[in-house]
Amino acid sequence: MDWLNLIVFPLIRSVILLFILLTAFAYLTWYERKLLARFQIRYGPNRAGPYGLMLPAADAVKAFFKEEVIPNHVDKVVYLLGPVLGLIPVLAVWAVIPITKNTPAIADVNIGFLWILALTGVESYGIILAGWGSNNNYSLLGALRSSAQMISYELPLGMFLVSILMLAGSFSLVQLVQSPRAWWEWLWLWIMFPFFFICMLAECNRTPFDLPETENELVAGFQTEYGGMKFAMFFIAEYLNVITTSTLMATLFFGGWKLPFGITDFLPILGPFVLAVKVIILLFVFIWVRASIGRPRYDQLMRFTWQYLLPGSIVYMIITALLVLFFK
Amino acid sequence: MLNVSPTSRAYETLPGLNDITIPALAPLPTGETEDTKRIVERFGEDIIAAGEHDGQQVIYVQPDNLVDLMQFLKSDPKLAYEAMIDATAVDRSKLPIGNTERFHMVYQMRSYQRKKHLMVLSPAPGGDDPVMPSLSPVFQAAIWPEREVYDLMGVKFTGHPDLRRILMPEHWPYHPLRKNIPVGGEEVPFSMTFDDQEFETLGKQILPSNSVAPTLPPGMSRQNMILNMGPHHPSTHGVLRLVVELDGETVVNIDPDLGYLHSGFEKMGETKRYKDFVYYTDRMDYLSSMNNNYGYVLTVEKMLGITIPERAQVIRVIMSELQRLASHLFWLSTHVLDVSGPGMSLLMYATRERERILDLFEMVCGARLTTSYIRVGGVWRDVPPSFMSNLQDLVKMLPKQFDEYEHMLTSGPLWRERLEGVGYLSREDAIDMGMTGPMLRGSGVDWDLRRDMPYGGYENYDFKVPVSQAGDCYARYLNRMEEMRQSVRIIEQAMANLPDGLYRTDERKVSLPPRAELDVSMEALIHHFKLMTEGFRVNPGMYYHGIEASKGELGYYIYSDGSGVPHRLHVRGPSFNNLYAISKMSKGEMLSDIITNIGTIDIVLGEVDR
Repeated sequence: MDWLNLIVFPLIRSVILLFILLTAFAYLTWYERKLLARFQIRYGPNRAGPYGLMLPAADAVKAFFKEEVIPNHVDKVVYLLGPVLGLIPVLAVWAVIPITKNTPAIADVNIGFLWILALTGVESYGIILAGWGSNNNYSLLGALRSSAQMISYELPLGMFLVSILMLAGSFSLVQLVQSPRAWWEWLWLWIMFPFFFICMLAECNRTPFDLPETENELVAGFQTEYGGMKFAMFFIAEYLNVITTSTLMATLFFGGWKLPFGITDFLPILGPFVLAVKVIILLFVFIWVRASIGRPRYDQLMRFTWQYLLPGSIVYMIITALLVLFFK
Repeated sequence: MLNVSPTSRAYETLPGLNDITIPALAPLPTGETEDTKRIVERFGEDIIAAGEHDGQQVIYVQPDNLVDLMQFLKSDPKLAYEAMIDATAVDRSKLPIGNTERFHMVYQMRSYQRKKHLMVLSPAPGGDDPVMPSLSPVFQAAIWPEREVYDLMGVKFTGHPDLRRILMPEHWPYHPLRKNIPVGGEEVPFSMTFDDQEFETLGKQILPSNSVAPTLPPGMSRQNMILNMGPHHPSTHGVLRLVVELDGETVVNIDPDLGYLHSGFEKMGETKRYKDFVYYTDRMDYLSSMNNNYGYVLTVEKMLGITIPERAQVIRVIMSELQRLASHLFWLSTHVLDVSGPGMSLLMYATRERERILDLFEMVCGARLTTSYIRVGGVWRDVPPSFMSNLQDLVKMLPKQFDEYEHMLTSGPLWRERLEGVGYLSREDAIDMGMTGPMLRGSGVDWDLRRDMPYGGYENYDFKVPVSQAGDCYARYLNRMEEMRQSVRIIEQAMANLPDGLYRTDERKVSLPPRAELDVSMEALIHHFKLMTEGFRVNPGMYYHGIEASKGELGYYIYSDGSGVPHRLHVRGPSFNNLYAISKMSKGEMLSDIITNIGTIDIVLGEVDR
């Protein structure tokens, strides 16, 4: 009966998770529009349904019914592969994220960290291939920027993840959340959080680091030649990426599904909701940053990584190693 | 006060206005000034005429000596006419000119040190196919205006580095500003014919096709990436097209392609009565229509020689400064949008304040964008009673909002990173390229027409002219922020000193009588009839008048033949001349900096494309 545990249950879980995530994506667009509007003294969506709540549905219908145009000058295989490769890794990261006590979303693999690092690496291929396959100068520039930016920011990100790993002492995210932490460990983690957040912004191509897209310079960057559902896939990928990274940050830095004083240990059913609330708060930060911080230039962004963030992250990792060695 | 010229010849081109007549030639300048004396001493016989005309210094020079004269004007320390503000041409073929040349070139020269203006005229030899020496070796500022004259008038310039059409398509068969080209009704060629290779791919973009490589602008090579920005690009502020040669992300070469919004308002102006062109000026720089009205109206009033009531003058100053604020606020919001991305909230904050200014415009004239409020002889209507209290509220609120913007931007490290050192323009280049307005002041030239050549009562106001030496985008940003604060100061003073009285001159030859007067006065009825049917006539002659609009010097050159319609109406737009600097500013910088530079030049394509 092992096949039941191996295939059927994970499959059912995956479908449910997919459904939840896509709904979350749809309402993230609404949430962002509404919040941005509030930051910018506007009303935001308020026409489709009460408070504009039906707007995501209207968007979905629009995207589905658009004509699928494939320009003649593109490399068809690569062009179509782009959005798919952009979307899948973002969804796959979710497999290892714990949603409540002893329960990961899909599977508790003992290499959870490596899984995340590997998939974020694959993610950038979607954008690079899309820009390359589009055979358009704007797309190409966007893809070049994207490859440079994502690879550069994955280095400090990796360093930070290794530091967290050393503190947790396990590759599994489920273990990470459940193992108790000393107060100085929390403090030390939170010092790192802003820098980790910057890396994540760059990793998600979110403003102010949306240089692969930069509609003010590159029209739409790597997705210039995409329309209809293919564009929607990039769109979904970007927003799901934001949700995924928010969840990841909530898990790594803020205890994931746990509440303080062990409340959720007695009521594990609360776990997913606690996680959701934490994610929503972090999403707010993402949108807040978008509404108030301008975009750096491409070379300035790269300089920041290589001159400050990467050395800083290495130093952080060394200190963490020493801390773990002497105090743990 | 108004002397209408003697009749000598019927004006055939305008049916219905047959009794309007024109003199043979605009009057020659008389007398002499210090400068013209010096020039005549140096050039002697080669100067056809020199002196003053309507209070302006005018020099007629033989075309052979034009380049020498310009060199002399520029280099002579006692003259120091260091900047060419404008160059244009007049087609006089419909005038009884006898054996003289059909085309005349008109150059506007400016001395910033001595605060002097000089108009240089020169006949273009060659009859219907005129050829002039190019002034581009002396002034870079001549390059684009000469291209424009070549395009619209068909005057060829020898020694011009890049004599291509600038506004009309390459293959356009006419030179539209020539007098023999009618307004409307001309045959418009399609851009492609059945014989063209390109026609094969038309409408078949989805099917396999061999696209034909477009021709590259001079000086570019296909060794590097050629990026076509525009005419529909999110941040070229309209329909500007830039052909950019990129090495990686570094700009090697950049060539602006203009004319996508060419509306031919100069040609329209030459078919409209003086009072009717005010409405067209709104559409030029559509973000500062009040200033456009103002400049045009001042030029016509100078030619008419009428005086404007004090109240109208103060109202005009208030409107002009409000428009400057509105234009600068919109510049700020779009500049932030271009540099920082669309999520940035400041975009909406600055637009919110601009909306309040537009509300005030709506209150005085019913329109928000195309105001047409400032008319020849005064303003359209008096300001309504509630206007002043609303203006008071606005003026009180604005400095606080400016503080808020500065808090968000000026001290923000990312904003400074993006602007500091970007788009550098040295003082010499800025003058040589004919920059005006904030572009000039950002490069360290202390010049503001409102202060240095006051018009419309600006000499009565106390305000500072912000100048900075840095010459980069950040300096221009700081300058414009300070200019907004100074505009608020001017408005405050104007509000305190707003006199009672007429809002429009009671000179009935140019200004409509009030409605009530028509019921009791036969004379008023006649004036009304005359004004509405044929407008007023303007003395033969020519006049150039520049005002400090929000983007720089907005000048109008009018050549009048004494009729009710300008014979030649030329607009010297600040955006057009300032945009020339884009290639100098952007070369060697990153792709993103092009966008920053477009923003800092603050162009409006309605005016750039004429």
